Amino acid sequence: MTTLSLTVNGRQVSTEIDPRLNLADFLRERLSLKGTHLGCEHGACGACTVLMDGMPIRSCITMAASCDGVEITTVEGYDQDPLMSRLRKAFREEHALQCGYCTPGMLATAYDIVSRLDRPDEDEIRAELAGCVCRCTGYRGIVRAIKRCIAEKSA
Amino acid sequence: MLRREDARFLEGRGRFIGDIDIPGMLDVAFLRSPLAHARIASIDTPVDADGRVFTAADLSDVKLVPPASKVPGHRIVAAPPLALDRTRYVGEIIAACIAPTRAEAEDLVETLAPDFEMLPVIASMDDALSDDGTRLYDDWDNNVSMETGFDSGIDEIIANAPVKVTRVLDMARQAMVPLEGKGVLAYWSERDDQLVVYSSTQSPHQIRTALCEALGLQQRQIRVIAPDVGGGFGYKAILHPEEIIVAALAMKTGRPLRWLEDRFEHLTAGANAREHRYEMTAYADDRGRVLAIDAKLTTDGGAYSVWPHTNGFDAIQASGILTGPYDIGGYRVKTQTVVTNKPPLSPYRAVARPGACFAIECTMDAVARAVGRDPAEVRIDNLVKAEAMPYKAITGKEYDSGDYPACLLRAMEMVAEGPKTPAPGRLLGTGYAIYTEHTAVSTSTISHIGIPMMPGFEQAAALMQPDGSLELRVGVQSHGQGMETTMAQIASQVLGIEPDRVVLRHGDTGLSPFSTGTYASRAIVMTGGAVAAACDKIAVKLREIAAHLMQCEPSNVHLEDGQLRGPTATMTIAEAAETWHFRPYELPEDVLRDGLEVTGGYRPDGDKGPFAYAAHAATVSVDPELGTVELLDYVAVDDCGTRVNPMIVDGQVLGGVVQGIGTGLFEESPFDDQGQPLATTFADYSLPTAAETPIIRLDHSETQSPYTRFGVKGVGEGGAIAPPAAVVNAINDALRPLGAELCAVPATPKRVLGAIFDAQDRAIADLEVSK
Amino acid sequence: MKAPALEFHRPDTVGAAVAILADGGGAARVLAGGQSLVPMLNLRVAFAETLVDIGAIRELATIEDIGDHIRLGACISHARIEDGGADSHCSGMLRHVARNIAYRAVRNRGTVGGSLAHADPAADWPVAMIALGADVEVSGTNGNRKLPVEEFMMDVFTTALQEDEILTGICVPKASPDLRWSFHKMRKKAGAFGEAIAAAVQDPESGFCRVVAGSSAIGGPQRFAMLEKALQEGAVDDDTIRDALTGALGSLGRYETQIHTVCLRRAMEEVRT
Repeated sequence: MTTLSLTVNGRQVSTEIDPRLNLADFLRERLSLKGTHLGCEHGACGACTVLMDGMPIRSCITMAASCDGVEITTVEGYDQDPLMSRLRKAFREEHALQCGYCTPGMLATAYDIVSRLDRPDEDEIRAELAGCVCRCTGYRGIVRAIKRCIAEKSA
Repeated sequence: MLRREDARFLEGRGRFIGDIDIPGMLDVAFLRSPLAHARIASIDTPVDADGRVFTAADLSDVKLVPPASKVPGHRIVAAPPLALDRTRYVGEIIAACIAPTRAEAEDLVETLAPDFEMLPVIASMDDALSDDGTRLYDDWDNNVSMETGFDSGIDEIIANAPVKVTRVLDMARQAMVPLEGKGVLAYWSERDDQLVVYSSTQSPHQIRTALCEALGLQQRQIRVIAPDVGGGFGYKAILHPEEIIVAALAMKTGRPLRWLEDRFEHLTAGANAREHRYEMTAYADDRGRVLAIDAKLTTDGGAYSVWPHTNGFDAIQASGILTGPYDIGGYRVKTQTVVTNKPPLSPYRAVARPGACFAIECTMDAVARAVGRDPAEVRIDNLVKAEAMPYKAITGKEYDSGDYPACLLRAMEMVAEGPKTPAPGRLLGTGYAIYTEHTAVSTSTISHIGIPMMPGFEQAAALMQPDGSLELRVGVQSHGQGMETTMAQIASQVLGIEPDRVVLRHGDTGLSPFSTGTYASRAIVMTGGAVAAACDKIAVKLREIAAHLMQCEPSNVHLEDGQLRGPTATMTIAEAAETWHFRPYELPEDVLRDGLEVTGGYRPDGDKGPFAYAAHAATVSVDPELGTVELLDYVAVDDCGTRVNPMIVDGQVLGGVVQGIGTGLFEESPFDDQGQPLATTFADYSLPTAAETPIIRLDHSETQSPYTRFGVKGVGEGGAIAPPAAVVNAINDALRPLGAELCAVPATPKRVLGAIFDAQDRAIADLEVSK
Repeated sequence: MKAPALEFHRPDTVGAAVAILADGGGAARVLAGGQSLVPMLNLRVAFAETLVDIGAIRELATIEDIGDHIRLGACISHARIEDGGADSHCSGMLRHVARNIAYRAVRNRGTVGGSLAHADPAADWPVAMIALGADVEVSGTNGNRKLPVEEFMMDVFTTALQEDEILTGICVPKASPDLRWSFHKMRKKAGAFGEAIAAAVQDPESGFCRVVAGSSAIGGPQRFAMLEKALQEGAVDDDTIRDALTGALGSLGRYETQIHTVCLRRAMEEVRT
């Protein structure tokens, strides 16, 4: 066992963990934050993407024990964050989700795209989304939702 | 109308199978065969493994569940849930290990020491058909599990046709890759005297039927619940061996057990879709009017027959629609389904139709090239005309309605306006594909083609609540299709109540009437029809209540906008519902004793499934030096009859198109000559992402089906049908200056360059000859 | 698909990390960003009794300007370079290479040092760093050493690191303002590993010239002296490139020959013009 102290969704967590746990399993099984989904467990589909210190990372290929002292934000942790609220509204209105399984990772990635990049065009948005697989929507709604939030940002 | 299911997913509050915690639950991991074909000589298990490791011997009381087929000579082998003494594909399950966590269950798997004797491997269709004597089943005289054929009589056409074009077209094997893997969780509920099985499935009632057969239980003794399901695409419309194993072991151990498929398991043991080879010959006149098609189709059926569709489903479906939306007078086809050391072939979104469309549409382009005409114009000449509807195709299918040429013309018009500027040194090409698709496939059709246990009636329960809100219960399962929204819209349409006063309960055998489930683009037609029928019944009852309260005849009460209007008074649905529930003294005692909870049923008129159709067009840019293909533009014009929710229709088409682009350009599960799968992670199995996908432009027409409620046609699968054909036709248009032609998908750089190399070699050989 | 049982250490100095590695006797592995190692652990195709997480060692997370070179701490993430963290005349190339590795979420965790030490034959940094003439710094029980990346990359998934050694930094020579570079990666889709990678770098001021290719098909990064000469002489043609590939690698399939030839030629032409 190894000790781990970190902040998850604003809450301080200190606990003993099996050192083989990855961050996604830690969040899901130990903290019951089931909104972080596992789609491939080898870092290639993006479903498990969460924010670490504000930056998107793959929680399935991040060892939980490496996360000592960091701040994690999962899909459950945005509260009234204005950008996330806008993204959620835009995702719904642009039909950016169907089965909903990729959605938490897509939102984290979208959050990063909109907040980190100034005014990316459609090609840049699509390139930035390349690490996130959606098997249902054909991506159009996701791209449109992000474009809309970028437009709102600069408006 | 926006989707009602979105809120929970956007906030991470969906409830997928991996999210369900049952106290005392243990995880299951499997020892799977590392070899494609081997005899299991022995399995050494650790001394303390008792009660934690299970092999076939421990499940000897579990019965096999073979699918049925009426196809003469169809040889069906049901997969044993745990391999008995022989494994026939990499990934076949040999033992189940149980532990408190998945990681520990996997640790336990690693302690098992199976001993194998290797057997000769049948790694491809060619291996299966070679006459070297290698057999997958010792008592078979070859490796062909099913053969079918049809011949309308084409000898005379063959003798007289001026143009003959032959192509061999290959579609690779692939995996379906719902983003959430398969999963199953089972426990015995003492209170309900029932085995409760959570399954990530599209077809809860079907799974219940199969589990009852396997476990020897009555249907009342199993409840199958599909929670939120993270994509299905057909992968979750079949019985999985894991469902049987987990259910059986939950009963045997008395513990809640759970298995969640991981991606490695999916890409190996689940590499079970497509893989068709078409040998197509078209006979045409000198304008490219196709007079007859002579085809031979071989499918790689894998090692076993999946339940309930069998391994012959692809061949049957493809050969039944191979003449496409065209008016073709002569058709001859032979199909053979071969068995190999691969996972059992299973129905993937649009079952077999992407292959059939790829075959006929690439052949159509080849015919156009042979007669020196534009491929789109040749298509227009060959398409069934609107005035010919309903049209009886040579295959016996009745295309109910639509204007196919207008659809293609619209796609041509749209793609002509699209982006057309390739980078320097790249070749530009545009390609088309058009299809017609039998949706909501009916009982008689399926029964006729040989699978007796398949869709039929559909039912929906509608339960009017005391406050006038409505609960719908249906046996289909919504896993992205947005049925919680569309079924509420249909109820709203019939009863006039606000959609947000309607809730849909689905995917639970404990709650809903029987249904064969969600597949075959059937839910909006079948379940939509059933919901409407149930709401019709509720409407009659509400009018009866209102009539009594208004002192008039029910026929004088009209239900409009949620209001019950009589000659002299008006009341709300809520008032009528409340009266029945809480103030029965206001009603005569013989009125509505059977209350406001009804089951409505549906079957299309004449048991006919409507044909949806679409024309797609793609523009590509090909790098002739690297073989890379960039999709510059993609257009899809579809007609699925009345669109209940246009936004959701768009979403279904777009998602299907991108899956089809995957089949056309990226996705492939190759196997080596020892039957080892070579694409076992997403590093090797390439899925299309936003970066590979162009802006897809859509348009629709709405030709109502004469046979269905509201004139709807199914739309869930169609988007995936045309892209492989459209993309390859576009690539071949681009490669024309090089004299190269590609006849296989996915069109990876290696295949595209291969086609170019072949053309170069041919040119050199021609030069040698001319010298 | 869960990692096997293991011990975990997260030392905060290089010395402590080296000591744990030395104790581990080969069964301990260094964990940097983990973007290659953790997937392999999950798949159980890589094994480690002990993981030594070097992510808490501060000195490995700095970028320094040291005389004639820029020193990147081993734990500098791809994303930091993508965002312009390593400013010099070759920063354009570093940023380009970084930006085209996998995806942003992977680049936030994945490190330059981890990529070099992992030695995936299809990885980008080994090709890029050899093309730029970079050195690596290594610390072990017997002290520190510095060697060219070209010598460090020994084979597929094999480096010059001893069991008790850690790659601590990468020294990238500062180039002149006239530096010309090209980095071509042919891949099946965005974010994927390269099917063929080619880099060409030429600094007219110093006369420095490198032509390097990499991929799984050719077994990792390869320098082509013959092509460097050709590039300096201004002659770049496919026959020469094919000869160079055959000379270095023996027979290669037609497809592999073609894509590597084209990537090399495009890289060299881009540098030349």
